Amino acid sequence: MIDDLGIKDAFASITGQALLEAVLVIALASLLTVAIQKVLPRVAQKLGGKARLYLLASVPLLRLLIILATIVVVVPILVEPSFENMVAIFGALALALGFAFKDYANSLIAGIVTLYEMPYRPGDWIEVDGQYGEVRAIGTRAAEIVTPDDTVVIIPHNKLWNSLIANGNDGTDNLMCVADFHLESNHDVGRVRELLRDVAFTSPRTKTWQPVVVIVFNKPWGMHYRLKAYPFAPKEQFQFISELTARGSAELARQGVKFVSVPVAVD
Amino acid sequence: MKETTNENNADPCLPGGLMSAEQWALPETSVRRSLKDAISHALTQLRAGVSQAEEPFESMDDLPELSIAQQHRLAPEPDYARQAVVIASSLDHARSEGALSREVVCLVAPPFSGVQQSLACFSESGPSGFIPGGTGEWTIIAPPETLAFSDQEACEWWDNQDLSRPWVITELAEFWLRRLSGLALVKELFRRIANGNAGAGIVGCSSWCWRYWGHYLENAQMSPWTPAPMNSERLGVWFTYLASKGRKSSVVVRMTGDGHYVLPQPEPDDIEKKKRSKKRKYSNFLRDLAATSRGNPGVALAIWQRSLRAQPDDDAKLEGDGEMSEKQSRAADCWVVPLERLSLPTMPQSKESVTGFVLHGLLLHNSLDIASLEVVTGVSAYELSLVLSRLKRAELVICEQPGERWRVTPIGYPTVRRHLQSWGFPLDQF
Repeated sequence: MIDDLGIKDAFASITGQALLEAVLVIALASLLTVAIQKVLPRVAQKLGGKARLYLLASVPLLRLLIILATIVVVVPILVEPSFENMVAIFGALALALGFAFKDYANSLIAGIVTLYEMPYRPGDWIEVDGQYGEVRAIGTRAAEIVTPDDTVVIIPHNKLWNSLIANGNDGTDNLMCVADFHLESNHDVGRVRELLRDVAFTSPRTKTWQPVVVIVFNKPWGMHYRLKAYPFAPKEQFQFISELTARGSAELARQGVKFVSVPVAVD
Repeated sequence: MKETTNENNADPCLPGGLMSAEQWALPETSVRRSLKDAISHALTQLRAGVSQAEEPFESMDDLPELSIAQQHRLAPEPDYARQAVVIASSLDHARSEGALSREVVCLVAPPFSGVQQSLACFSESGPSGFIPGGTGEWTIIAPPETLAFSDQEACEWWDNQDLSRPWVITELAEFWLRRLSGLALVKELFRRIANGNAGAGIVGCSSWCWRYWGHYLENAQMSPWTPAPMNSERLGVWFTYLASKGRKSSVVVRMTGDGHYVLPQPEPDDIEKKKRSKKRKYSNFLRDLAATSRGNPGVALAIWQRSLRAQPDDDAKLEGDGEMSEKQSRAADCWVVPLERLSLPTMPQSKESVTGFVLHGLLLHNSLDIASLEVVTGVSAYELSLVLSRLKRAELVICEQPGERWRVTPIGYPTVRRHLQSWGFPLDQF
């Protein structure tokens, strides 16, 4: 079968020196990729704001460029880049991938799609299949996210085809946080809304130029308030929500507004 | 659109006069300077993790700095009473031209602009006495000792203030605290101003505080006024005015490195002359200074005072230049170190969120004591004392006596603002 595809002819001209050169180029490219993957995220950690996001987002792009450049350099070293040879090599590669590494290839292709569609970038806070966390790295096959509990979750890129991906900040440093308050009825709704808005405005973590909104729902058990605001940095989101909840609850209690509690059955 | 600029170029005490805050624009800078600033800021952030220097500030220049007496002579603090007169007449002029429609004028300025000190001179007992153009004696409304008020108490407090004759609030930032019970006074004041029952007055406000309240009261349209930004020409006029103390004699200031002239500035027709004769070369120092200080006079003056030197570092080089005679060289009153060689305060490495809360809180409220800072930031007094001592060593904050109130230093302000921006904190518009 290899003969039929012309693979044997294509690789017939490979010499030991050419092989050595190709290995050297690949080794250099690998070293460069590893260096970029290690150094740039560290540098990004030192920088704040948008510079950090841009630097993190450039890592997978740079890696793709290195891979493409390596292929462009290595293939002519090994084989004569004629039309027949190219068809033979890529045909064989397609067959191998198609049969043996279908899912892997699926993820690889999805990985390339993520680089230009950018459903998530390093630094984004995403939720995929119930897993929420910050995208730490985007590999060739999968993305790594770190959950708030400091657990690394590997998400294959092929989730892109059939899963819902929720992105909290979408490449920016604006991430909306929501603090929920479940209150008993029979209180001044306008006063509570005003008070919760003040709670957000008096937090040192609030990005005051972004909207601060309080919405309220009338539920059978009482009133459900949602205080929505933006922290100055996405990584502050949990501290921010905790602070809003704590200060909001304390102030509501001081104003005599009661919380609802659901009876829990204990065996 | 009606021109609302109130240029008062004739008075070097406040070059550019007052203007509508919407017309304020950042002084121009060169691409070289912008790139240099951006790269050096990024490097500073990166170095923060490597260098553990305890004293970030150290002068890179070994020339003797000016003595206190020389500094008082060549770069003294402004005469705020005189500025108050200019502000009052500028506002009068604007009102007579119909540019001011409200009875209450809001004067918004970045920290260290001197507006607060000038407005403090509006008092009847102040050195200026009666302010020309005013409609009578001014009452200064001072903030209460405690700022925790309910809405009802705030209403009563304002009822007790004498708003029947012209009044001045020198700094609105001192009338509130960023806590739930600390907002009522300012809310009530803005409600009265919007309703038109606050009488005639002037509200001086720091740009950081103003920005906050602009977001909080999204529908309030106060159309504030502001001093014009200090570009290179205005800085030249102002520094000359300060050094000459109103006399006609001009001061001569030159660069230490190349001997180029900083002051006096070239007259418009001098530029043409310069092109022809190339007799006198002028430095871009003031343009770079205007950009570094973002047109803020207090910051520019602080950097200017820091950069002045008693003598050139390389007389031989100047003499070898061949373009200046010995007589010319001696004619300089003082010399200026290039901005590149001047080490301005840098941000010490620390937990950025806590440092940010502290610095942002100080800028929002102009100055705060430890107890208020604890309330505003939610950081414990113990941790605050550690952070403040680090920032103090870095020359970014200073503790003022009496009252032990902490505030950001003018020389550290550019660094503080830039770091707050990169950390994502809300900034002022200037």
